[in-house]
Amino acid sequence: MDLPGSIHDFLLVSLGLVLILGGLGVVLLTNPIYSAFSLGLVLVCISLFYILSNSHFVAAAQLLIYVGAINVLILFAVMFMNGSEYSNDWNLWTVGDGITSLICTSIFISLITIISDTSWYAIIWTTRTNQILEQDLTSNGQQIGIHLSTDFFLPFEFISIILLVALIGAIAVARQ
Amino acid sequence: MLEHVLVLSAYLFSIGIYGLVTSRNMVRALMCLELLLNAVNINFITFSDFFDNRQLKGNIFSIFVIAIAAAEAAIGLAIVSSIYRNRKSTRINQSNLLNK
Repeated sequence: MDLPGSIHDFLLVSLGLVLILGGLGVVLLTNPIYSAFSLGLVLVCISLFYILSNSHFVAAAQLLIYVGAINVLILFAVMFMNGSEYSNDWNLWTVGDGITSLICTSIFISLITIISDTSWYAIIWTTRTNQILEQDLTSNGQQIGIHLSTDFFLPFEFISIILLVALIGAIAVARQ
Repeated sequence: MLEHVLVLSAYLFSIGIYGLVTSRNMVRALMCLELLLNAVNINFITFSDFFDNRQLKGNIFSIFVIAIAAAEAAIGLAIVSSIYRNRKSTRINQSNLLNK
């Protein structure tokens, strides 16, 4: 979206803060239903972030599928399995948790060093010179539709079959 | 801006791995799996926005990832509800149904 720079940066920083706090909330909150709502907050913020980076179709798909379907399904599952058992194991900080947090912070730090060592702007300039300079008038969603019906036609059909089979299998497994 | 978004995505990925390994509830493990897939999606969208501005192949891949995530959440929650019906518990370390 073509916002002026200061508003764009302000929105980006606020979305990043909400994402950081929401991600911590998903993992560290003791009640599973609070962490499910925190996951919903994270998913909505990721959808707003997609709008900020010019991908309106994926933002709408994220809002419909993740927040509307997956998060509601997770909330149903949390409410279906009554959580009287989470209260007795919420303060167990074992050795495995410490080792895992150490490994995850080391993965995070190594990823940060790799990201800051790579010279992204050289890659941007090499790809910009290769791109076609003509501006076609089709919009974002139209272009995604054209790609899905020409280049990615077979994966699109396969993914529809996978979704159908997975949902029938889920109903068959969850049935009494 | 690109580096900040990539660092944010790496943060979501590592905290998703941490939650996936250390969670004792199966539904919470599924939530952390959704966090991992969302971190991958953020990377796809960002690289598509910065590097591949006309082709939009990253958007299509992220749509595929979203569809696979929907199938995975449905299957996973069905399995979790089936285990809960048999065991009356959703603890990860107590699901030894193959043991008896």
